[in-house]
Amino acid sequence: MMFQDDGSSSVTSSPFQNSPMISLSPGLGSPYPLLKELKSEDRGLYLIHLLLTCATHVATGSLENANLSLDQISHLASPDGDTMQRIASYFAEALADRILKAWPGLYKALHSTKLSLFSEDILVRKIFFEVFPFLKVAFIVTNQAIIEAMEGEKMVHIIDLNAAYPMQWHALLQDLSARPEGPPHLRITGVHPQKEVLDQMAHVLTEEAEKLDIPFQFNPVVSKLDNLDIEQLRVKTGEALAISSILQLHSLLCPVDEPHKRSPLTTMKSNGVNLLRASQIKQSTLGDLLQKDMVNGQSPGADSASSSPQSSAPAVQIDGFLNALWGLSPKVMVVAEQDSNHNGSSLMERLSESLYFYAALFDCLESTLPRSSMERLKLEKFLFGEEVKNIIACEGSSRKERHEKLEKWIQRLDFAGFGSVPLSYYGMLQARRLVQGYSCDGYRIKEENGCVVICWQDRALYSVSAWRCRRMAEVDV
Amino acid sequence: MLEQMADEAISSSFIQNQIDESNPPPAKKKRNLPGTPDPEAEVIALSPKTLMATNRFLCEICGKGFQRDQNLQLHRRGHNLPWKLKQRTSKEVRKRVYVCPEKSCVHNHPSRALGDLTGIKKHYCRKHGEKKWKCEKCAKRYAVQSDWKAHSKTCGTREYKCDCGTIFSRRDSFITHRAFCEALAEETARVTAATSSINNSTLPNMNYHFMGSASLGQNTAQHFSSIFEPVISNNHEIFTDPIRQAGLSLWMGHDSTQSSHTAPMNNNLQPLFSDPKSNYQFNWASTGNNRISIPSPFDEHQTTSIASSTNALPVVNKDVGNQLVSIPSLYSSQNMTDQCTHSATMSATALLQKAAQIGATSTDPSFLESIGLKRSNMNHVQDGSKFFGLFGTNLMTTTNLGISTTADQVNEHLSNLNHHLYPSKRRHIQQDQDSSGSGETRDFLGVGARSICHTPSINGWI
Repeated sequence: MMFQDDGSSSVTSSPFQNSPMISLSPGLGSPYPLLKELKSEDRGLYLIHLLLTCATHVATGSLENANLSLDQISHLASPDGDTMQRIASYFAEALADRILKAWPGLYKALHSTKLSLFSEDILVRKIFFEVFPFLKVAFIVTNQAIIEAMEGEKMVHIIDLNAAYPMQWHALLQDLSARPEGPPHLRITGVHPQKEVLDQMAHVLTEEAEKLDIPFQFNPVVSKLDNLDIEQLRVKTGEALAISSILQLHSLLCPVDEPHKRSPLTTMKSNGVNLLRASQIKQSTLGDLLQKDMVNGQSPGADSASSSPQSSAPAVQIDGFLNALWGLSPKVMVVAEQDSNHNGSSLMERLSESLYFYAALFDCLESTLPRSSMERLKLEKFLFGEEVKNIIACEGSSRKERHEKLEKWIQRLDFAGFGSVPLSYYGMLQARRLVQGYSCDGYRIKEENGCVVICWQDRALYSVSAWRCRRMAEVDV
Repeated sequence: MLEQMADEAISSSFIQNQIDESNPPPAKKKRNLPGTPDPEAEVIALSPKTLMATNRFLCEICGKGFQRDQNLQLHRRGHNLPWKLKQRTSKEVRKRVYVCPEKSCVHNHPSRALGDLTGIKKHYCRKHGEKKWKCEKCAKRYAVQSDWKAHSKTCGTREYKCDCGTIFSRRDSFITHRAFCEALAEETARVTAATSSINNSTLPNMNYHFMGSASLGQNTAQHFSSIFEPVISNNHEIFTDPIRQAGLSLWMGHDSTQSSHTAPMNNNLQPLFSDPKSNYQFNWASTGNNRISIPSPFDEHQTTSIASSTNALPVVNKDVGNQLVSIPSLYSSQNMTDQCTHSATMSATALLQKAAQIGATSTDPSFLESIGLKRSNMNHVQDGSKFFGLFGTNLMTTTNLGISTTADQVNEHLSNLNHHLYPSKRRHIQQDQDSSGSGETRDFLGVGARSICHTPSINGWI
């Protein structure tokens, strides 16, 4: 047992002696009646405290304590409750998932029967598009940047790195057909791992292009981004190329050649743990196993994606990818990403940042949809919950949700040879108008270094930036 | 000749031969009410064939027909007529009025004749003719081509939509309507705000995309059917099912590859999305000229708004029945702690910031900084005593979470615990801290997890 009985407590007799509130051990009887009576604000604060506590325990490997924290959280958190309760339930699940990976057999057994419904994916994507303005703003700004860059161009080729939202190009087709010089010859290459999604896109867009009488061609490329063959994109000389990347690049920030099997626990400890002391812990056998893991394998570079790209960080997939894209000489590349650092090397760092980020998103939902809404639940569970799980519980190449702040992206893209293209005021204006049309009043559009950032209240959530291929001779002053 | 004339004319009064060159219309006079002609006017009755004939003006020389008299004159010049014949037979200008050949029509009677030939032609087409011209955007049909052209110019380009769902093509009528509708809207907002809380399930009233509400006309429903698709199905009150179903099937019909799901919208949306050729909404941005419309998904009266001009959309301020009107103030980032005056919960963001305030030292206002500082402190400082003291004193002064409830006591307890525990437990805790990572268990709230763990035994509870 972790508890140490100290008879020499100097604590004066507390008025709460009779309150079983904080007794944590399950063996001490029904300990939580009073917890139920907590006001939501206090409960929320307590949940935050518990989450951080639990994360600390997980980070240091004290699984027993982590378990106790999770138990406490389970009495307060709920996916149907108020915002903080919901957030806590998903974060707790993520932390539990992380712990569970220490027992790979257990983990695999529990996850093997999980069904991933294709139609659910589509539905959730659709709800995300409809409920939030983020994608709409990204589409508006992207389309506007493309239109402006392609002024006067007769042959336009657009590469969509996540061809799951036909609405974006549907709108672009209409904008292009209204061009004063007439629509260009348009080719869209859509990349997506699921063929059915691409078929749907092809159908929708081809139909619309026919209606608008725009010469149009849709080329599907069934592929994941991390093994995308640039040749498959079939970029031709003489055509003006635009690339649209909406919430895709961050998944390429995971390191190359990371062995998939490595347990996340090897990287679980945070900086500064004294390994000698670690071995002194008298923990349960499970804890011992954990300690052994900690001692054995600590790859210092495992999570170094957050470091500056110019440093000698281990190779990340994005470098090669950006290089390849640069080689295609796009006239414009528009990148939309989450504007928050969820790629920190330590769990605590990621947890605290993502707490803020997803709190803002959950707040959006609270202001937008009722608590009983199934759509809201789906978004929370299948979209945000999964993202949180990935951020918290996964390491190495399995952690895909490696969001970074805008300034990092700017650095990275600049380093890869792209020059910044300031987004037009008109695009931002359109974005603002869209956001003002939303009944909940918290969304803000702001401009930062020529990029558009969508915020909830003051919290930056998503950013959109545009880039062009910068040639050798150019120097960005 | 007479038979021909009889063929062409039905009237009981003076019969006008269609070959006769009609004089140019008289100078613009005061317009009579439609269908109340000048009693002195000459009533002309043309057969439907004559009326619809396109080439009423025939050249007497070559017989070529023209739609307009002016064109005929131009043509006649080319025949090099001798001067005399060039002149038109001068005729006294006499006002002509025309009756509609359709017997059942009110304008068939001479007393309700229409004064303009073009007018009577259009009237005949409109009322008694086949509607051959169809607007491609909406489903409206027209018998007269000019009507159709005029409509298609404005169709979908500039539309004003009131929150109550009525659509206007004219700004002035829209504004007038809104003035009255506003009154209704505010009343509704007041009533609903007073009676329900945020968690009320009537909240979905403000949800989005619909296939046309009950107040939308059939045309608009069809028009928007291809555009939006209801996603939220919780709220069934505002829509009548038939319309939604009709809208749904219309939408389905628009995409011919869709299998027809005629099941009414229910809460689980299963029938809709079982077809992977999924139902994306298009036209969320407007058509044409880079104008992007604002699909306000949170319109209370779920109408799709395609209007592209901002001043047309009243949605921002008109959250009819939107109980969340008060919420933005709630969720504003300033004055977070003072904001909780109502019964609703604090936003998660606000809670996090409050937690950060409580847990941080006076120099570390932000959540992250406190985390960072702590960690870096942990790295370097094995002896966390300075930290404990900091947190201890800080907690005592800053923790003020609750009011006089047991919850309050709990929170006080937390701070008390911290304060009391650390000095006494320092040795123990430090040992554990060192062994487990030099204070990692300390979190930003300043309450050590271990201390919590140890509480019961320490305080002798239970």
